[in-house]
Amino acid sequence: MIAETLFKMKKRNQYREIEDFLADESFRLWMKSENDVDGWEEWTLEHPKRAKLVQEARLWLLAMKVPEDNLSQEQVDTALQNTWMKIEQKEQDRKMEQKLIQLWNTTWFRKIAAILVFGLLSVYVYNNYFANNHNDSYYDQIVNNTDEDGLLEQINNSNKPQIITLSDGSSVLLQPKSKLSYPKIFRGNERNVYLSGEAFFEISKNPKKPFFVHANEIVTKVVGTSFRVKAYASQSDVEVLVRTGKVKVNSNKKNHNLSQKEIVLLPNQGLRFTRKDQTFDKITDITKDKSISNSIKSIEQLSFEFTDIPVAQIFKTIEQAYSVEIDFPKQELQKCHLTTSLSDQPLPEKLKIICKSIGNNSSYTMNGNQITILSKGCN
Amino acid sequence: MNNSAINKFLNLKNQVLHKTVLDDNELWIELKAGDEKAFSTLFKRYYSYLIQYGNSFSPFSEKTQDCVQDVFTDIWIYRDSLSDTVVVKAYLLSCVRKRIVRLQQRDKVFNKSKSVDAIAFLFDFSVEQQLISDELTAGKVNQLNKVLNVLPARQKEALYLRYHHGLSVDEIAAILNVNYQSANNLLHRALVNIRKEWKGTFVLLIMLLTHWI
Repeated sequence: MIAETLFKMKKRNQYREIEDFLADESFRLWMKSENDVDGWEEWTLEHPKRAKLVQEARLWLLAMKVPEDNLSQEQVDTALQNTWMKIEQKEQDRKMEQKLIQLWNTTWFRKIAAILVFGLLSVYVYNNYFANNHNDSYYDQIVNNTDEDGLLEQINNSNKPQIITLSDGSSVLLQPKSKLSYPKIFRGNERNVYLSGEAFFEISKNPKKPFFVHANEIVTKVVGTSFRVKAYASQSDVEVLVRTGKVKVNSNKKNHNLSQKEIVLLPNQGLRFTRKDQTFDKITDITKDKSISNSIKSIEQLSFEFTDIPVAQIFKTIEQAYSVEIDFPKQELQKCHLTTSLSDQPLPEKLKIICKSIGNNSSYTMNGNQITILSKGCN
Repeated sequence: MNNSAINKFLNLKNQVLHKTVLDDNELWIELKAGDEKAFSTLFKRYYSYLIQYGNSFSPFSEKTQDCVQDVFTDIWIYRDSLSDTVVVKAYLLSCVRKRIVRLQQRDKVFNKSKSVDAIAFLFDFSVEQQLISDELTAGKVNQLNKVLNVLPARQKEALYLRYHHGLSVDEIAAILNVNYQSANNLLHRALVNIRKEWKGTFVLLIMLLTHWI
């Protein structure tokens, strides 16, 4: 203790700056409380230079007062109590956390969790894979069981609709992720095609040879008309929407338990087949059914009634409706205007009518999505 | 009679003060060993200091109280992972400051304020009126006090930590999150600034006084 005091006293002999004094706790105490433990007064008086420095340091300290903290004993005690409560709360939270971690670390809990996860995963896989297979087999079964041989199959894996022209002049606009099987040439007195997915049909009129679309559980019979069939293997509903003409919908022959045997649909009517409970649901006005009117594709919205319209614009409408490209001599056909009604006609028929209207031996060729018009100008 | 009573009290306080400096580390070790009494003693010893320091940054004293109590809560809960060798006072001050910075930054993020600057030390030094007997000293001290209080916030905070709490430059550097040299510069610049300003006003004051006389 004495040695320490002596050391301090020696140290203060080196003080040359005000900050030396300010930093000395003993000096601060002397200044603020006039409590001279270390004999500062005597030390100061030893040297006039020191006195000057000490005097100035005193001014600094007087100007740097920090108010005494005004917290009462009571306030501090309350705060302490409060803190202990906080500690208790936090320790409980931590214990809960540790319990959860312990629970996780026990083997039986992990086993149960693993079983649950496995179970959910199996259900998911079953629904998405096996169930799908089951549905898809409708299409496969029907296609495989037909007597017809030489069926062609068109699968649309692109993201744009594809146009298919059938041997009878009917056209089918096949939507993405859909496939259609059809004979190269329609023989006999029926026209049968098989659909999985969605397509818009425009059927050339032939009352002697009715047209059948087999799609999942339903069969749609038509004579001459345009309509849409939506029968995705993965979706729970099958839909038929009629635009023009008349359509009869039957259930697939295998489903004998269906209550209704045949449903007749007129333009702007539709039908929804709920696969889960195997029931038909007729929609009397497709424009009022929200889920359907939202899904209606551009071809149904486009009008094919043309009155004195430039040929180029008519071609543009067709390009848009069928996702095809039409190449035509722009120069020659620049001044050609047509008035014609092309609704309810398959694509080849539409093209034929246009070529006829232009005249001058105009003709067209079709190669997949590419259509070329040959013409030397209109009459 | 009265004077001697005050002296006695101050003597006592002095002894306590001296003792506390020694005791802090012992209490800290006991706290780390799980001694609730040591915790309570340290709490009572530093709580109001920390509240005052915290209030210098934010005018919301309730938030400050929460902050300081949370600091102590964490110290108790995580006592096992605390370092053995700390300067308790500096450590506590540093914890409180960090917590307030974090809180204000969070508030600023929520208020979508543009700047996320460091917090500003808003504390003002006052004048020790009771110890001043003559008018000349009072004038000088008042001038000095004014000069002190217009210093940049960080310089003021450095002075406060150095000459009120008696922290070393190292400890101040740690609290302000700068290196030793920067902390030293901060203190030095503060003192140079004050001297320059004060000398100017002081001369003016003398001139005024002599003229008036």
